[in-house]
Amino acid sequence: MAVRREKAERLADEELMPLVGRHDPEAFEVLYDRHGGVAYSLAYRVVGDRAAAEEVTQEAFISVWRSGARFDATRGSVRSWLLSVVRNRAIDFLRSRAGKAPKLAFDDEAVLEQRPARERTEEEALRRETATELRGALGKLPGEQSKVIELAYFGGFSHSEIAQILGLPMGTVKGRMRLGLEKIRGELAEGLA
Amino acid sequence: MTTSDHTRWSDDLAAYLLGSLDPREAAEFERHLEGCEHCREEMRWLEPAVHTLPETVERQEPPPQLREALMAEVYADARPEKKPAATGSWFEPRRWLLKPAVGFAALALLVAGVVGYEVGNDGSDGSGGASTIVRQIDGMTVKMIQEGDAGTLELVGVPRLRPDKVLEAWVERDGKVEAVPALFVPDRHGRAETTIADMRGVETVMVTEEPRGGSETPTGEPIMAMAVPQ
Repeated sequence: MAVRREKAERLADEELMPLVGRHDPEAFEVLYDRHGGVAYSLAYRVVGDRAAAEEVTQEAFISVWRSGARFDATRGSVRSWLLSVVRNRAIDFLRSRAGKAPKLAFDDEAVLEQRPARERTEEEALRRETATELRGALGKLPGEQSKVIELAYFGGFSHSEIAQILGLPMGTVKGRMRLGLEKIRGELAEGLA
Repeated sequence: MTTSDHTRWSDDLAAYLLGSLDPREAAEFERHLEGCEHCREEMRWLEPAVHTLPETVERQEPPPQLREALMAEVYADARPEKKPAATGSWFEPRRWLLKPAVGFAALALLVAGVVGYEVGNDGSDGSGGASTIVRQIDGMTVKMIQEGDAGTLELVGVPRLRPDKVLEAWVERDGKVEAVPALFVPDRHGRAETTIADMRGVETVMVTEEPRGGSETPTGEPIMAMAVPQ
């Protein structure tokens, strides 16, 4: 078993996915160890509660385990795909939680800060460095653009709900989303991509 | 198509990528996308911006039990199809009962199960209808629900398992031990449940801890054993 685990650790995510699709637990375990941290962090950011974040993360990874073959390499990296699964689960959780609206902490300064954390691997350290730069990219956006993006992505609000919350026309909300994403994409093209 | 048309679709594209269109709008946009290379190209360009958003969240350390529970479920799922276990009684020396570390505990549990405190029993009408037996065994509440030929075994208060362990249920029928096909694990509240598809002629039900992937014959510590009234 140790040999298989070591072998799995040497594989790229895209190479692990076919193994996960064939229900190889070691391959899946490596996938979780690589991305479980950010997945849990994302779930926590969306649902705002540790127990719920744990539940959402577990459900998301189990759905990946049971549907690993659905990964489409043409649509992005395994990590992006995994995180979109987690995000969707977290938003579903928010919507299904009876009597509670999605949280509105979109302008919480904590979102744009980073606390020191253990950096267990060089790759993780690099990811953290990249995350800091990305936070910077998001932080550079005009508040009106970052606000609509955060409400949509982390809050799970539709553009019409955001328009209602902010008292703006729907076209303005969608326009700000586009401008914001284009700016982030521009930053990526310049320095991070 | 005019430039202003595409401004509309570009705005929709951003909202679509952020998951912010309602289902009807999203379906409409997807139909447009199928026939519009310009929008597909723009989506390929813009999508990485959305993929960076989860990377910007403040990092939280996931609790260790999340990994444990997840991997226990995965290993339980990954268990290969098994044939019924070899014949033989649980009480035969060549099985595990006479191994001192396992056997005495198992025997004690078995006895506890048989004479254990019966919390409730809604009885059976003897015509194949539902019947429920509830017992307290070694600190756990064990509920055996029989409906027709099938049974559901519910355990409450199951101690936490090591990550490399799963629960496996066994039935004894006509003096032969059979593994119940589905492995299972307790949730974080200590609840565990498995289904026994064929309860006909089952005299005893037992659950053991087994290595991930399960075993052909019981090898682990039994956590409960219960005689099934005939």
